[in-house]
Amino acid sequence: MSRRTASADAPLGALEEQVLVAVLRTGDGAYGMGVRREIERITGRDLAIGAVYATLDRLESKGLLLSTRRSVAEGAASRRVFELTPAGTRALSDTRAMRDRLWQGVDLERGAADG
Amino acid sequence: MCIDRSGDVPDLFLFCRKHLREEALERSVRRTPPTPPRLPLALLRILLPRAEHRELLADLEEEYVVRVAREGGPAARRWLWRQALGSAPRLLRWKWWRARTGFAPGADTYRPGGAIRSTWIGDARYALRRVRARPGYSALAALTLALGVGGTAAAYGIAGSLLLEPLPYGHESEVGVFWKKTDWTEGEFLYLRGRAPGFRQVALYRRGDVTLRPGDAPARLVPGLLVSAELFDVLGVQPMLGQGLRAVDDAAGAEPVSVLGHGLWQELGADPSIVGGSLVINGAPRTVVGVMPPGFWFPDPSIRIWTSEPLTEDAVSWNSTLIGRVAPGLDVREMSAPVARLTAMLGERFDYPIQWDKTREAHVTPLRDDIVGGMRPALLATLGSMALILLIACANVSALMLGQVDARREELAVRLALGASRWRLTQQLVAEALLVGIAAAVLGTGLASAGFRLIARALPLGAWSDAAAPEWTLFFPAMALAVGAALVVALVPAVSLWQGELRGAVAGARPGGHRVRGGRLEKGLVVAQVALAVLIASGAALLARSVLNLYAVDPGLRAEGVGVVDVMLAAGLGRERQRETLDRLTDALVELPGVRSAAAAQTLPLRGGGYNLPLGIEGRPDLQGMTTEYRIVSPGYLETLGIELRAGRTIDEADRSDTEAVVVINQALADRYFGGADPVGQLVTDDIRMDGDAGARLVRIVGVVADAAERSLTDDPVPVRYVPVAQTPWVDQAQSLVLRAEPGTDPVALLDEARGAVARVAPDVAVRETTTMSRVLDTAVGPARQVMSLLSVLSALALALGAVGVYGVTLHFAMRRRRDWAIRIALGLPGARAVSEVVARGAALVTAGTVIGLLAAAGLARLLSSFLYGVDALDPVALGAAGVVLLAVGVLASLIPARRAGATDPAIVLREQ
Repeated sequence: MSRRTASADAPLGALEEQVLVAVLRTGDGAYGMGVRREIERITGRDLAIGAVYATLDRLESKGLLLSTRRSVAEGAASRRVFELTPAGTRALSDTRAMRDRLWQGVDLERGAADG
Repeated sequence: MCIDRSGDVPDLFLFCRKHLREEALERSVRRTPPTPPRLPLALLRILLPRAEHRELLADLEEEYVVRVAREGGPAARRWLWRQALGSAPRLLRWKWWRARTGFAPGADTYRPGGAIRSTWIGDARYALRRVRARPGYSALAALTLALGVGGTAAAYGIAGSLLLEPLPYGHESEVGVFWKKTDWTEGEFLYLRGRAPGFRQVALYRRGDVTLRPGDAPARLVPGLLVSAELFDVLGVQPMLGQGLRAVDDAAGAEPVSVLGHGLWQELGADPSIVGGSLVINGAPRTVVGVMPPGFWFPDPSIRIWTSEPLTEDAVSWNSTLIGRVAPGLDVREMSAPVARLTAMLGERFDYPIQWDKTREAHVTPLRDDIVGGMRPALLATLGSMALILLIACANVSALMLGQVDARREELAVRLALGASRWRLTQQLVAEALLVGIAAAVLGTGLASAGFRLIARALPLGAWSDAAAPEWTLFFPAMALAVGAALVVALVPAVSLWQGELRGAVAGARPGGHRVRGGRLEKGLVVAQVALAVLIASGAALLARSVLNLYAVDPGLRAEGVGVVDVMLAAGLGRERQRETLDRLTDALVELPGVRSAAAAQTLPLRGGGYNLPLGIEGRPDLQGMTTEYRIVSPGYLETLGIELRAGRTIDEADRSDTEAVVVINQALADRYFGGADPVGQLVTDDIRMDGDAGARLVRIVGVVADAAERSLTDDPVPVRYVPVAQTPWVDQAQSLVLRAEPGTDPVALLDEARGAVARVAPDVAVRETTTMSRVLDTAVGPARQVMSLLSVLSALALALGAVGVYGVTLHFAMRRRRDWAIRIALGLPGARAVSEVVARGAALVTAGTVIGLLAAAGLARLLSSFLYGVDALDPVALGAAGVVLLAVGVLASLIPARRAGATDPAIVLREQ
């Protein structure tokens, strides 16, 4: 039986990248709703929480994120919080490097003029 | 926190300001949090993972509150709806993905709904792979369980509704049926009406089938009851439409009225305006006063119409039943004191002959016992035996699974050594068993509906047997049984896991040789199964022989070639017109091509029932109070049935109402009351008074015929009189027309034409049933035949299961010794020797089981003795046949694993080790 597995080597999708960055930006104690808020704040996109959750899960199954359970504030109930794994950091930097390479030597204004 | 890493200062400023404002807003709204709409939250609760939904919903609510303060309630609500609806497709996809991959987030491992659930999914997938990889084993296991599950579900479907569901009456526990030592009369009922001590109300009913002519269609027979006006009050049920019966409806001079059953009402078009209108019932228009609610039946589901007619003091028909609702505060089970007062009342008013004395053995039977009581033992026994078979099936599948666990010893041992918990391994076994169970439930439901009618017919259920039909809801008990069975099945291999036998496997201590665990439990199980199969099969064999013997009994008539048309004459025609109708009918039948002769009788042989009337013999005052069977027949009846004439003549056309009264007697009567003397020409008296005659009349014996089985097939011959219908003062509405086919003509082929002839010459006569005398004989063979077919089903089941059991255990035995076979075959043991050793092992188990089974059969056979006829309960042929069949099947079942053992390739097996 063939089984589609989430591979850590595949390039990150746009949402995956945004979620990973948002986890980084939120820093210690990044949780689902926090990540969603962060993306909305930066990009202005009102993402559905379900989409964020599904992406967080997929990233964890790829080994790019690690979730643990702890209280983010004193006395609060425990919640699932995320942090980047070394593989996650590497994937982000690869994606960014790939993007930089792609953009290298591209002049949007000149391209538009040529077109 | 308001650090923006992008580094733009204006951005940073804006973000900080916005963030601070949000925090201020949050603080301000925290005092009176608005409640978010429930529906989107409920949707999300369903979709989110159980381990996390609480915290996520709390987050959403918090955000909602913030948005209400910032953007206002309507915008916040829109946002929440967008969240819920936008999340739904993603979450659904994500749920499916989690289930497929078995992914469990690290954070949720120990949360309820977290990792455990995903391990179940993983286990189910693993079990599915294992099941698919071993199609033979899986199919055998599922089929074995399905046999047990299907049988039990079918038995439950039949028995459950009759035993457990409440009867369709109000406060049924207050209703009781009067003793039936002899039937009750209308006179007795009218005497007791309104003053029966201990009863609030008493009602009378008796069988009263009616003919119904809807529109211009030919009359048809509707099974019904004749009832007194109180019946529905006693039962505590009121009609769905109309007011039902009123007290005046059975008073003298009242017009007969009818209440329809719901099913009949629907067949007639389900028109509510039928109430108050009239239907042609028994040949005359009759008012319909009510329609009963759906689901109502009384006293069995075949009855579809209840009719009330005027009751009369002098009616002497002895065929009614009394039913009463006890007075408040009394218990229907403790009615001896009121019943004693009641019998005293009866004793004062009526003079009872000693054999019909109603004042003795008086008791009231609770309604449920009266209706269902007779069926209860059979139902419980069937349910019990099916459950036993299910248990055997479980044991067999358990043994099969144990074999599988054994084959996986090393895999399991390695997994244990690598840190798998026993719980986890057990969980996997349970998942596998459940998977088999689910397949068994589906298969079992199919088997249950296929076997339903078979079981329903084989049980003595009367009218319920036709009313019982398999329903799709059978799936639920089947599923419940299968899941329960699957858990039982997983128990044995799980125990073997927990006994810690596996540790040795990985240490290299291989099983083999004579050190192998004995499997005593397993062997015991198989022996017990085989014994049970032998027990049931020998019961079936005994009954089969006894049924054969019953067919060999001479019924005193030639049943083959005789067709039967049971008809119902229209009521209220008067004697003469009824007789004319009978003549017309028999004449029409004789004229049909292929019919040699035709006649009519009020009761046919082998059916039981019929009149039993006093007989007096001239010069024998000692015979006072003696009665004999009394059959009212038309000319040619005895010839048509093939009842042999021994002396004198039979009844013929010359015996009319204005000629001398005659009677034909049977041999038993002649032998018992006339000894060696010739009875022909002697005079006897009967209690029948023709119109205007007073007292007993004299009747001349004109012939003697052979003994036909007038009551039941196996009864000793009883004295019978046959009298011409022309010379009796009444003609019953229910008549049986018999026709003898010409040699070479199948009577079945004549029945449709006969039905058509009846409709043609007498459209107001309803045909109740057409059948043949051979079928009547089949019915007379009766319960033995039914029990035989049920036992045959059971023994086939037990045989199949016994074979599976022998197969499973022998296979297990052979697999465990694979290495031994390999070594011995490598050293030169011929394969055939291996085969014979394994078969010998299986045969030993089967022989032990057979011996025990035969002993048990010998011990228990007397339970069957009431069904046996002409067969000894220890009949060596029947018991021997059952034993031989079981032995053969058992040896065959062990042959399959034996062949596998014989074909062991030492090179492969030893390399595995």
